[in-house]
Amino acid sequence: MFLSLIAYAAILLFLGLSAYKAYQFSKLPLHGRMELYPVPKEKGFEHGGSFYEEISWWKKPREVSHVREIVEMFKEIVFIKTLFENQRPFWWLSYALHLGIYFIFVWTFLLVAGAVSMLNGIVVAANTTSVWGLLLFYLTYITGIIGLVLAALGSGLLVLRRMFDSTLKKYTTPQEYFNLLLLFAAVVTGIITWSSDFSFNSAREVTAGIITFTPFAANGLLVVHVILVGIMLIYIPLSKMSHYVGKYFTFHTVLWDNSPNLRGSAIEQKVKTATSYRPTTTWSAPHIQAPSSTKK
Amino acid sequence: MLDQKDLRPKDLGRPDEQLIKLETYNLMPLLPPYDKPGMQPPISEPKPAWREKYCASLDGFIGLDTLTRPQTKEEEDEFVRKFLSGLEKIFSDANNGILEPLLLSFEYCAKCNTCSEACHIYKAAGDNELYRPIFRSEVLRKVVKKYFTKSGKLLGGFVGADIDVNWETIARLGELAYRCNLCRRCAQTCPLGLDNSILSKEIRKIFSQEMGIAPTPLHNKGSMLQLKTGSSTGLTKPAFLDTLEFLEEDTEEKFGIKLKFPVDKKGADILVLHNAGEFIAWPENPVAFAILMNEAGLNWTLSSEMMGYDSVNYGLWYDDVQAKKIALAQMKAAKELGVNRIIVGECGHAHKASIVAGDRMAYGDAKVNVESCLPLLWDLVQSKRLKMDPSRNNFPVTLHDPCNVVRQMGIVEPQRNVLREICPQFREMTPHGVDNYCCGGGSGFAIMNALNFPQFRDNVASRMKFNQILGAFQGKMEDASQVKYICAPCSNCKGAMRAILEHYDATEKFNLQYGGLVELMVNALVSMKRPYFEFLE
Repeated sequence: MFLSLIAYAAILLFLGLSAYKAYQFSKLPLHGRMELYPVPKEKGFEHGGSFYEEISWWKKPREVSHVREIVEMFKEIVFIKTLFENQRPFWWLSYALHLGIYFIFVWTFLLVAGAVSMLNGIVVAANTTSVWGLLLFYLTYITGIIGLVLAALGSGLLVLRRMFDSTLKKYTTPQEYFNLLLLFAAVVTGIITWSSDFSFNSAREVTAGIITFTPFAANGLLVVHVILVGIMLIYIPLSKMSHYVGKYFTFHTVLWDNSPNLRGSAIEQKVKTATSYRPTTTWSAPHIQAPSSTKK
Repeated sequence: MLDQKDLRPKDLGRPDEQLIKLETYNLMPLLPPYDKPGMQPPISEPKPAWREKYCASLDGFIGLDTLTRPQTKEEEDEFVRKFLSGLEKIFSDANNGILEPLLLSFEYCAKCNTCSEACHIYKAAGDNELYRPIFRSEVLRKVVKKYFTKSGKLLGGFVGADIDVNWETIARLGELAYRCNLCRRCAQTCPLGLDNSILSKEIRKIFSQEMGIAPTPLHNKGSMLQLKTGSSTGLTKPAFLDTLEFLEEDTEEKFGIKLKFPVDKKGADILVLHNAGEFIAWPENPVAFAILMNEAGLNWTLSSEMMGYDSVNYGLWYDDVQAKKIALAQMKAAKELGVNRIIVGECGHAHKASIVAGDRMAYGDAKVNVESCLPLLWDLVQSKRLKMDPSRNNFPVTLHDPCNVVRQMGIVEPQRNVLREICPQFREMTPHGVDNYCCGGGSGFAIMNALNFPQFRDNVASRMKFNQILGAFQGKMEDASQVKYICAPCSNCKGAMRAILEHYDATEKFNLQYGGLVELMVNALVSMKRPYFEFLE
């Protein structure tokens, strides 16, 4: 029961706090334009071009490809493309961690799917006659092993790299080591907990117990693991590890924004609102006459 | 003094007379023929009187010539207090226009250090720690955490709030904000899309908007002068009209062309907005524009009204309030003239200020359509409205991509299309286009000529560009009889080119010339009776 509560609370808080963070960013006032090319949705994307390459661009129909933007975002999310292109040695470690996390996400879903199937009488095992049960068993097995190993290696090696790289060492704060070590500890306690059964049958049973609020026998290690995962899930959206939220905004609404203030556009309405806003704080330098009229 | 390799962000408050020192032998090596000993002027020490008066304690260079050392402890404390007050304001509604990008870049840096390799200043200085893009950002984060976050107050060094904040820390941070060209190349490589230049600019803004401290060429003799006289050059309406008249006569005398600049032509289709510095430093550029536009039969005009004849907007580099005042005044001048559109001449930061930054400063009737000159110029060539003879430009030409126009606006192809058409020996720099390096004159450096700042600009900030130029002309460099032309369609970039060519004596020794795009176009005009460039005579 206790572990169920922790699990549910942590997941809800992770989702809720992440969504709240996204909501806060989305509510920030209209900012000045700060695109950086290439901008994927522009038709001149290949050479980094924009609509400004055309004469009287405001008269031309705006041609944008949202599909291309989604494809580029997908490459960033799934492969961390920018890091791959610009700093390959670091990418191997960072990507191991991120890919490990993605696999663990999928693994968790598969554990839940397996637990739900089990509760509905489907046998999830290597020797089951059910195709679904067989599929779940093997997929859970593969994703779990890959996810746990990659995430542990990624987080562990990133800690070591930061400790022994003379440059990174100077810039890494104790909190940033703590962040990585928290991930490492959560993953490693998981590996130790499930090490007696890497087919994850016991993990599925624990998941079933958690889902149904059924009390089950939990050893000390499992309790520590669940608590660590719970703390990690709640801490991530509160820390800068919530960059999965920030990154959407840096790319989509800042670097790839590219929405000119055309007559009758939605942006024009936002500009209207922003320019009529009177700030409550003003700058103090002598050349600035109050009230301040900073760029809104 | 520290070995730069040992420097950490929290060292910015150390009591050393100077934190680090640059020596030419530690800088990034230059390509031939500048790889030989004695080809580079040495870097000199700042004068003792400058150390006493200004903040020369960072790297010995002084960019902030209005930042003077306080006489009393009270003045020191007041300086720090004012900075902290401004620092708090950048996260308030006084800074709405940048709040979202600022918060993102401030909060999410993962310290992966990918940005360093992209920074021309860091690389040119021989991978110098002081100029690492995250160094400055990290100092700012430490100060913010120390004073304005609960975690910093409670946990101190655990979250990075471990910096001593005193006059020296803040003054050095102010100087350090002027060791970044705001070119945003580092942001292109950030896996999280963060932008260190935002933090550099915010520091500059705190100094200007809150503390009233900004480099004289940008503020007192820049945006303030422009708002007072109409131009940052101090050029008034009568002086501007005189200049035009002189240029008309001069053009007729030199080339036999009866040139007429249309001025204040009500209801013209196009208002051409030049950087007024061109009329003084590079008059051949606005003259070339006029020749081309007249020959193409365009309905255009210049304005002689207040704020209508200078496209510059230095506020873009250090002060949002100044930037907005100038941009709105320029729009008003164009509105009063009743033109359909403004075309911005060859000035990169004016492009960004009027077309991108100005885009969200006004709406409806107050807003004027603005566009770059480059697509128009390509159209004139492509449509054959101008008759060109490319053989007249038969010398090696390379193209510099102004960061504001290319990386930050996506105007990449029109200018190279023109060059491909009219310059048989056109060659690209490496890298180029949106990946190109800043000229080293960006964000005001080109006009910051006070004290010893030009030494930093010419030795460090422009070093990568100089190497790119040498690289583009490899095999041709040593032949001094061969003209080599750097096409820089931007006033500031031309300023930086002029400075590095002088610094390395490259025009004299190797016939390295520079100029804009329109000059090459006029030189190729079939109607021209003699070369437009003096160096071809």
